[in-house]
Amino acid sequence: MELSFIIIDDSELDCFIARKIVAHADKSIPVKTFQNAQDVIKIIEHNTEDSNNGTTIILLDLQMPLMNGFEFVEEFEKFSSGIKDRYMIVVLSSTRNSNDISRILTYRSVHSLMEKPITREKLLSLILQGKTGL
Amino acid sequence: MSEKIKILYVDDEPDNLIGFKASLRLDYHILTAVNIPQAMSCLSNHPDIKVIFCDQRMPDTTGVEFFEEIRTSFPLPVRILLTAYTDVESIIDAINRGNIFRYVKKPWTEPDIISAIDEANKFYMANSMLSIKNDELQKAYNELNKFAYSVSHDIRGPLSGILGAINVAREIEDIEEMKEMLFLMEKSLKKLDTYIINMHDYYSLQRGELKITDIDFNEVFDELKPIYSVISKTSNVAFNISINQEEVFRSDAVPLKLIFNNLLANAFKYQDKKRENKSVEVTVEVKKSQAIIHIKDTGIGILGDHIGEIFNLFYRANSQEVGSGFGLYNVKSALLKLNGQIEVNSIMHQGTTFKVTIPSI
Repeated sequence: MELSFIIIDDSELDCFIARKIVAHADKSIPVKTFQNAQDVIKIIEHNTEDSNNGTTIILLDLQMPLMNGFEFVEEFEKFSSGIKDRYMIVVLSSTRNSNDISRILTYRSVHSLMEKPITREKLLSLILQGKTGL
Repeated sequence: MSEKIKILYVDDEPDNLIGFKASLRLDYHILTAVNIPQAMSCLSNHPDIKVIFCDQRMPDTTGVEFFEEIRTSFPLPVRILLTAYTDVESIIDAINRGNIFRYVKKPWTEPDIISAIDEANKFYMANSMLSIKNDELQKAYNELNKFAYSVSHDIRGPLSGILGAINVAREIEDIEEMKEMLFLMEKSLKKLDTYIINMHDYYSLQRGELKITDIDFNEVFDELKPIYSVISKTSNVAFNISINQEEVFRSDAVPLKLIFNNLLANAFKYQDKKRENKSVEVTVEVKKSQAIIHIKDTGIGILGDHIGEIFNLFYRANSQEVGSGFGLYNVKSALLKLNGQIEVNSIMHQGTTFKVTIPSI
């Protein structure tokens, strides 16, 4: 199965790290990074007739200015299930706030949580899950 | 205390009212009411009434009933009952239902009333001080909550980024890639450093007394100018300062510099990189015991929706990772200390102007 990544994080460094780890693991996996979640909503909106049947893993930071992780997921859930099925949202968080964590996990479209720092091991296991379609 | 204590006296006999007013009006601000409706409108018109004296025996409503009624609608004034009849039942009622502070027997003597007012005023002051302290405490508590939340994100965020980078560094062979990462790591650390400096500013603004000295705005900006001359040159942003100060201005230099530092940092930080003729213009006008400072940039501007929120703690209106969410909040706190005001005018893609008005103290 085709796999690609979208990383949404207002920290440039975290975007860079995630991109490098994915590239080192498998150069063929496309990675796009965004510092503003609104841009990603627009992309998903315009990308309705995607021909490939691959999965895009969205790594989503929670605390961001303009549109935070919660607002992104709220917007994302409004898409049709045909569109939503192409994405797998993994929430990135440096927060220890259990309220935030339990709240974000109540959304159906949130697949799982990855605590920062982003490491090779964590991303590799995610790539494996994405490839096998879990 | 310069202002007279405001007192309301309610009695159905006009003679009593006149007598009360005549003997006390020199030392106190006496308001009178001959019935309950009059008393109610008096309370609504004078929210600063501190003590209410009320006669117990009145035709429609008793003093206790009146006090019981206003306990919730006007809780602040201290309630004192005047009565000639001292049966135990009515005393019990006055205490339990009217929640009165004192009981003064009719016919009253001036020392009785004066001592009652004195004690009531102390009670009133203690109560209102308590509620002010309570509000301050609540505010501090809310900010502490925001702090705890932000610490996990704004301090732990850059640290976990750096940890992640170290983890990745083991895999990176290419020296250019490594340099790029080091640059981003440095940026993260600088952000963390700024956060800590701002946190210190935040703390020192909340505590501490003002230190008032003569302020020479030329000196203030001579000190600030070199800090921004580097970024002015490297980013090609013209930096112009014009100061017109003909009179003495007194204020505290520390919060003053903090205000200008934050506003200038923002003016340079949020420039529109694609634009030509970038500039930051500062004008200072000191006259009639106040200073009016304009800081005008040719930056990206602030979206209308966000303008109301930019002075809130930890609010960031931009997705570039430069802001800590402290800067303008600290500006506002500093202005509060100096009795100053700030206005903001912003047009997207054209620029933002902050107008700061500070009185000489």
